[in-house]
Amino acid sequence: MGEEIGFLGLGIMGKAMAVNLLRHGFKLTVWNRTLSKCDELVEHGASVGETPAAVVKKCKYTIGMLSDPAAALSVVFDKDGVLEHICTGKGYIDMSTVDADTSSKISEAITSKGGHFLEAPVSGSKKPAEDGQLVILAAGEKALYEEALPAFNVMGKKSFFLGHVGNGARMKLVVNMIMGSMMNAFSEGLELADRSGLNPQTLLDVLDLAAIANPMFKMKGPTMLQNNYTPAFPLKHQQKDMRLALALGDENAISMPVAAAANEAFKKARNLGLGDLDFSAVHQTVKGGEL
Amino acid sequence: MAKTLLLKTTPNFSQHYLYLRHPSIILYSPPNVKTSCFPQVMAMCSSFYPLLPINFGNKARPIFPFPTKPQSLVRFKAFSSQADTSTTKDDIPARIGFLGLGIMGSPMAQNLLKAGCDVTVWNRTKSKCDPLLSIGAKYKASPEEVAASCDITFAMLADPESAADVACGKHGAARGMGPGKGYVDVSTVDGDTSKLICQHIKATGAQFLEAPVSGSKKPAEDGQLIFLTAGDRSLYEVVGPLLDIMGKSRFYLGDVGNGAAMKLVVNMIMGSMMASFSEGLLLSEKVGLDPSVLVEVISQGAISAPMYSMKGPSMVKSLYPTAFPLKHQQKDLRLALGLAESVSQSTPIAAAANELYKVAKSHGLSDDDFSAVIEALKARIQDKK
Repeated sequence: MGEEIGFLGLGIMGKAMAVNLLRHGFKLTVWNRTLSKCDELVEHGASVGETPAAVVKKCKYTIGMLSDPAAALSVVFDKDGVLEHICTGKGYIDMSTVDADTSSKISEAITSKGGHFLEAPVSGSKKPAEDGQLVILAAGEKALYEEALPAFNVMGKKSFFLGHVGNGARMKLVVNMIMGSMMNAFSEGLELADRSGLNPQTLLDVLDLAAIANPMFKMKGPTMLQNNYTPAFPLKHQQKDMRLALALGDENAISMPVAAAANEAFKKARNLGLGDLDFSAVHQTVKGGEL
Repeated sequence: MAKTLLLKTTPNFSQHYLYLRHPSIILYSPPNVKTSCFPQVMAMCSSFYPLLPINFGNKARPIFPFPTKPQSLVRFKAFSSQADTSTTKDDIPARIGFLGLGIMGSPMAQNLLKAGCDVTVWNRTKSKCDPLLSIGAKYKASPEEVAASCDITFAMLADPESAADVACGKHGAARGMGPGKGYVDVSTVDGDTSKLICQHIKATGAQFLEAPVSGSKKPAEDGQLIFLTAGDRSLYEVVGPLLDIMGKSRFYLGDVGNGAAMKLVVNMIMGSMMASFSEGLLLSEKVGLDPSVLVEVISQGAISAPMYSMKGPSMVKSLYPTAFPLKHQQKDLRLALGLAESVSQSTPIAAAANELYKVAKSHGLSDDDFSAVIEALKARIQDKK
């Protein structure tokens, strides 16, 4: 991938990933719906495309990093979107987290114009994105995956190729479903410790030694105890992922009572206006949960 | 009645001192002891046991064997009279009782024995004592007799009912306890049961420590448990080295009830995590993904936990070798929900998880590993046994 790469979407994740690529010598042409967000990337050496179509026209490979299915579809299908200039020899790599249907829709549209498609949602939030420590869950065209690996190896610590389009999307949703449930379980535990007269910090210390120790508890525990919910992964996106995972379960008639309960907590949190905070803000919901 | 005081290492001490007070027997008084340590020793002793006169100067003969020190153990030295240097002055020679030799109790007691401790055991099913007897444990026929013949008695029972029965029942440990003795209940119970046991024990003049553990079969075997203790601080200090043999870390959490609560909170989170993990494994399989790949993906990311890496591979094969029985996980969730209710806290995730364990129990999976909860989500349950 020595050529110019396109990068659509410079939010929390996209910006960090693009900066990483630029730092490792990749040439990028970037686009963001709010164009001013491109300025910082320009300082790092990127060029700017006025529209997704303009970016695709210029670049052999274009990466998309949008926040949800609607945005992911929009950059592809809308006027001046990716489809206008995608063609044989060009590849589109969608790293957004969407449902499998959205991904299939995009894949079909791209490939019917002769283009090559890879879905590649990531596991990891802001800091892993900044540190190039994402886990990349790719599926779709194997050849495009091989060509994307140099970029993937900069952005991530491990990449998986999971087969046909849809598998990456589904894997990501399953992982985030577990994560959302875990965050809820963790919040319940922190609150119960506190209400039982225990020192919640001691709970964190114990958890850190136990079989259930994990980086998320270690990272989020202290900030949750300080009521600090600066967003690394916005709650509204976590709830979107839970919703999509539950839909996946619904489609296949799979029982998921814990995920359903977790989703309810995230919905309640959104209702309380916590949607733009970090998903750990669901803790606030648990705190308020009086019998 | 002999009293044993074991002092932990502190920077002020170059040695640790073991001494016994008994009217007719034993106190160690070495002529060559570092006199500078004495005032501190005496000060520490009097703060722990204010009523005890400390008799130095008696010629003493050691009554306990001094086995070799296990590597991880804090060094203990004992005064010995000049003439007697045959014993190695390294370990805690107190008489230790151990009640309950199940999945956890057996390896814990074994670790104490292997470290050179003097251990007397009891188990409801006597045959479970045999492996312990074959490596040097003594046997008594009831918790009462064990407690009567030991200085420190540990109890590792499966649930509140057994723990209360062993401590407070007919021929229970309380009947053998008294001043100078300590009872350490390492079972996982609710706060009320723990307080009840505490009451019965302390009424005899003995000291009490609740000390439930985090960690299952393998950590028990490997001496890697985490002790979540509460109760008599001085007993905690005394048994610290014993906990260090059986575990990798220990916490002192204050009043009786706090250890129990901490354990329940931890296991509430764990039970919910296992249930959620089960949902994920099943969902991934049903939508055409390889659940083993899910396990690998999880191990790379922010939610990577030892439990998932350990249990995932066997769960994918529908195997649930018992390290932590499902019935005990469900018991812990039930008790945690009770705790939550007592402090007016809503816990929907734990409640949803608890339902799954109940379903699994109703399908005969009580004695399987708690990871068998995944079966509760499947359409068709294969009944075990």
